[in-house]
Amino acid sequence: MAKIIVITSGKGGVGKTTTSAAFASGLALRGYRTVVIDFDVGLRNLDLIMGCERRVVYDLINVIQGEAKLQQALIKDKRCENLYVLPTSQTRDKDALTSEGVTAVMDELRTEFDYIVCDSPAGIESGALMALYHADEAIVVTNPEVSSVRDSDRILGILAARSRRAEQGEEPVKEHLLLTRYSPKRVEGGEMLSLQDVKELLRTPLLGVIPESEVILQASNQGIPAIHMENSDVAEAYKDVVARFLGEERPLRFIHPVKVGFFKRLFGG
Amino acid sequence: MANPRSPGTETSAPLRVSGGVFTLSILHLESNNPQQLAQRIAEEHQRHPAAADFHRHAPVVLDLSAIPEEAPLALTEILNVLRAADWFPVGLRNAAPRHQALAQDLNLPVLRGQDRNAAPQPETPAPAQSVSTSPGGLTIDHPIRGGQRSYARGGDLVCLAAVNAGAEVIADGNIHVYGPLRGRALAGVNGQDSARIFCMSLEAELISVAGLYRILESDHPLWGKAAQIYSRDEQLHITALTL
Ligand SMILES: Nc1ncnc2c1ncn2[C@@H]1O[C@H](COP(=O)(O)OP(=O)(O)OP(=O)(O)O)[C@@H](O)[C@H]1O
Ligand SMILES: [Mg+2]
Repeated sequence: MAKIIVITSGKGGVGKTTTSAAFASGLALRGYRTVVIDFDVGLRNLDLIMGCERRVVYDLINVIQGEAKLQQALIKDKRCENLYVLPTSQTRDKDALTSEGVTAVMDELRTEFDYIVCDSPAGIESGALMALYHADEAIVVTNPEVSSVRDSDRILGILAARSRRAEQGEEPVKEHLLLTRYSPKRVEGGEMLSLQDVKELLRTPLLGVIPESEVILQASNQGIPAIHMENSDVAEAYKDVVARFLGEERPLRFIHPVKVGFFKRLFGG
Repeated sequence: MANPRSPGTETSAPLRVSGGVFTLSILHLESNNPQQLAQRIAEEHQRHPAAADFHRHAPVVLDLSAIPEEAPLALTEILNVLRAADWFPVGLRNAAPRHQALAQDLNLPVLRGQDRNAAPQPETPAPAQSVSTSPGGLTIDHPIRGGQRSYARGGDLVCLAAVNAGAEVIADGNIHVYGPLRGRALAGVNGQDSARIFCMSLEAELISVAGLYRILESDHPLWGKAAQIYSRDEQLHITALTL
């Protein structure tokens, strides 16, 4: 039976889709049969980040409305053997996502996969609620700034109250905090909240820290999940996240400003 | 198919009317000028959004002791100002006979409750809620997040973790918070003015005991410190918790 993981945040633009793509790819690279689902109906970003936008024929909404079979909508990733993408529709509105429909899709996917990764839309309305409802675990993506932390706090409350696990009185959804777009230099300059600040405010176990990096932009422009960007900090950071998620111990990296060496300073980097 | 007897058609049971004691906010009207009132409310709510939140949909009694008998009173307009600010005016008190007559014309009760110890009893059909005096209570061992609200009916609320910004803890009795108190805490909401709030780190947006409330800012001398909050002589007191 698959484990369902929602990637959520409350606030928009913090790195949920970037994380969903990288994390799902990382699980697949470890050999797990993984599917990543785009719940952001009307925007449809995940397929772009995964580089499969031209292979989208049917989507989640078609499946929910009975216009296509699940098998027809699942797109096999071109880089990872075990990874599938379930894209969403750009043309339908959010009401097309019904809770019965989502439940049916989840029930079918559960038997086929090890992990189901749900990329949530921003906000705390129905789309975000649908994405988190079935979750067994949640990765709450947060940027080191006050409004993002507040929204993460809010979504943590909603996870504790409105998920299927909460409604049925089961073991609560397991929460993970993922701090992204972390810029140690700006933290040092006092422009951003520090890792300690965020941990103290949210009090949720930390899964990892993803540094701010222009590699993310290159990756998304090429449709390559960031975890495949060889020799980059972000790829390494996302690999650590996957490892910790699977229960391995990894020290935190990329949380201190890079010290520029004497010669580099002298001759220019 | 056998239809269950609908409760509405029962004839034998008498109407259930019971007594109840309610805590209501009292607004002391400063003048008979509705515009001025509107302006004062707007200023207060702009300065303290948490106060606006606190007042939203709150029943309120207008105290007219500052309004002389001979002053004209545009009561309808004053009520409209309050309603526009999302308040629910439910009655008048300390009103001159002339002003009481105005209230009667508007079907607005004139309440006799004089001070906080004998909380005024609205004659409007508020739900006849019986206050449980059982020493029930609520113990919470996880953080209370923004947007969440926890209510200990008829007892104390104990939170062993943080009450985060935007969260609300409410109790008929005392409130104890062992993590930082960053949200709102309302103790004694059923009028128990001996209720207190205890916290290990006072960073609250708003604190209230038995209807008295206060907004806090980070310049408060006890900010971030262990503190208790209680009411005495219609005033909220915040003191260090020294053990
Ligand atoms: N670690 C990072 N460093 C630099 N830029 C990043 C990083 N992570 C994400 N971004 C950028 O931030 C923007 C938002 O990222 P993304 O689309 O993943 O966020 P989202 O939370 O899914 O947004 P939405 O709420 O709109 O769905 C993108 O332009 C992305 O390239
Ligand atoms: Mg997104």
